Amino acid sequence: MSLIERLQKVEDAKVWYDDIPIENEYTVGIAGERFLRTLKEQGVIMGTVCPNCDLTYVPPSMYCERCFAELDEWVEVPSTGVVDTYTVLTRSLEGEPLGEPQVLALIRLEGAHGGLVHRLGEITPEEVEIGMAVQAVLKPANERQGSILDIEHFKPV
Amino acid sequence: MSANIESFPGTPLSQDDLDEGKVLTTYWRPKLKYGWDAGVAISRYLEELKNGRIIGVRCSQCRRVVVPPRVVCEWCWEPIDEWVYLEDTGTVNTFSVCYIRWDASRAKEPQIPAVIEIDGASKAGFLHLLDEVNPDDVKIGMKVQAVWKPAPERVGSITDIRYFKPL
Repeated sequence: MSLIERLQKVEDAKVWYDDIPIENEYTVGIAGERFLRTLKEQGVIMGTVCPNCDLTYVPPSMYCERCFAELDEWVEVPSTGVVDTYTVLTRSLEGEPLGEPQVLALIRLEGAHGGLVHRLGEITPEEVEIGMAVQAVLKPANERQGSILDIEHFKPV
Repeated sequence: MSANIESFPGTPLSQDDLDEGKVLTTYWRPKLKYGWDAGVAISRYLEELKNGRIIGVRCSQCRRVVVPPRVVCEWCWEPIDEWVYLEDTGTVNTFSVCYIRWDASRAKEPQIPAVIEIDGASKAGFLHLLDEVNPDDVKIGMKVQAVWKPAPERVGSITDIRYFKPL
């Protein structure tokens, strides 16, 4: 054996296979809690308003990122908005090919600042355009769990 | 120091609060599978463990006997090409009595990880576990011997040696 010696048989080369067991659980935070609970219980999307900057944040933020004011004014926003940007996925997180390509988009709701990253549905990837109008499709009330996936997807309007 | 602080800002949460679903959370378990190429030297080392033997290498330049084996001597940078079979006995170089498992849970019976210098090898050693010994009786310098798994159960892993016991 030396640096330049080669293994003669493939089975002599050992590979150690294992798995790193890591799991994580993040709390959604105070503003996220109210945002998702309202979505679950009332089927309504809410944002926080900064009166100084005249901005409505969706997803809601506890503090204004411009003037650092604490935001305690909550408003309902429409479930319609526009596609700010999008990407077409052909593989899963594990790198496996997806049967049907998925479209993920950053959606800015009407009158709101910021955006939600979500799936586009009821549309083919070729039809998606930046700036197109879309609307949230919610899951039925009894299936909602207080997750951003309580919105099934956004569809074109 | 934190004992002097009466209250912290923010919302205190316990594991129970999370388990009972008092607050919303997102949960994620990433799939972190990996395959580590053991290389020429460690491949043979693992293969020999499966045979119930410990193998090392001798550096022709500085005469060190290295286990686990390496293809290059990390002291003198000389490529190494001489294999040597070693005893499965050795000496405890250092050890720890561990009441906390790798996942931070508490253990009633302690584990005793130790660095064991194999007889015939040069200074240092490799990490393994001690057993069949009272934690209070473990001493640096004590002689130990490998306790192997039965041959059919050995797979070519460092855990083919179950643990080391006092000699």
